[in-house]
Amino acid sequence: MSQQQARRPALSHLFFWFLFSNGGVITALLLPVHVLVQGILGPLGIVKVVDQHYDTWIRVLANPLVKLYLLVLIVFAFFHFAHRIRYLLTDFGVHAAKTVPAQVAFYGGAAVVTLITVWILLTTAPIGS
Amino acid sequence: MPSPHRGEGQGEGQGVKEYRWRMPANWWTRTRHYFLYVAREFTAVPMALWLIWLLYEIKLAGNGPSGYYPPRSAAFLAFSAVVLLFALYHSYTFLKLAGVIIRVKVLDRSIPPRVIVMAMFGAWAAASVVVGFVLIWFAR
Repeated sequence: MSQQQARRPALSHLFFWFLFSNGGVITALLLPVHVLVQGILGPLGIVKVVDQHYDTWIRVLANPLVKLYLLVLIVFAFFHFAHRIRYLLTDFGVHAAKTVPAQVAFYGGAAVVTLITVWILLTTAPIGS
Repeated sequence: MPSPHRGEGQGEGQGVKEYRWRMPANWWTRTRHYFLYVAREFTAVPMALWLIWLLYEIKLAGNGPSGYYPPRSAAFLAFSAVVLLFALYHSYTFLKLAGVIIRVKVLDRSIPPRVIVMAMFGAWAAASVVVGFVLIWFAR
């Protein structure tokens, strides 16, 4: 049984590691500038930023390319986070984080965030409205 | 169902006797190296919180002009400042790691890891300029 299992490629591992590593690169390349500009420079009034006014924010959000960009950024990031936090818990001695229910909870949680993101992006400034 | 962390865990699977791993809870505070490792892994938490806030801000725009209020509070600024430190640390560590992970061969010769890391940091700078430009330009 264990021999048979050992020969099978760990496809789900491959899949989640793909999401994890790509999410890592995407957040590394893109997140700091969002936090700096939208989280610090905009609120301080140092520069004008799209989300500081309703008109400019909703116009940008209506753009399908922006929707796609935000979807990729947020979805990959959350699969990356799910993977990292699960292993961090394992490192802290939480053995439950290794179990299948924990995997379902963490990657399922990222899947739920994906659905919520799709829903928010499609219902806020809908395409073609 | 194969475990997604095969190869990363320690000898788990059917037919393997479970090894009870006992470590003091403060193992990660003992050396600087362990502490930085945990800090690196922990960056996911503040970054996740900030993205949840971004989702909320997008949702808020759906309320119409009277229901939208831009983020300007001191608490939000402080929160973003803390998240920025973690996000920068994540970028620095993750992009540096690319030199170890990514192997590119050109004309049968491997590109040195240093060049790959430099390319990743270059991509980071370029992406930051483009995203920053879009966020500021379309505010007019």
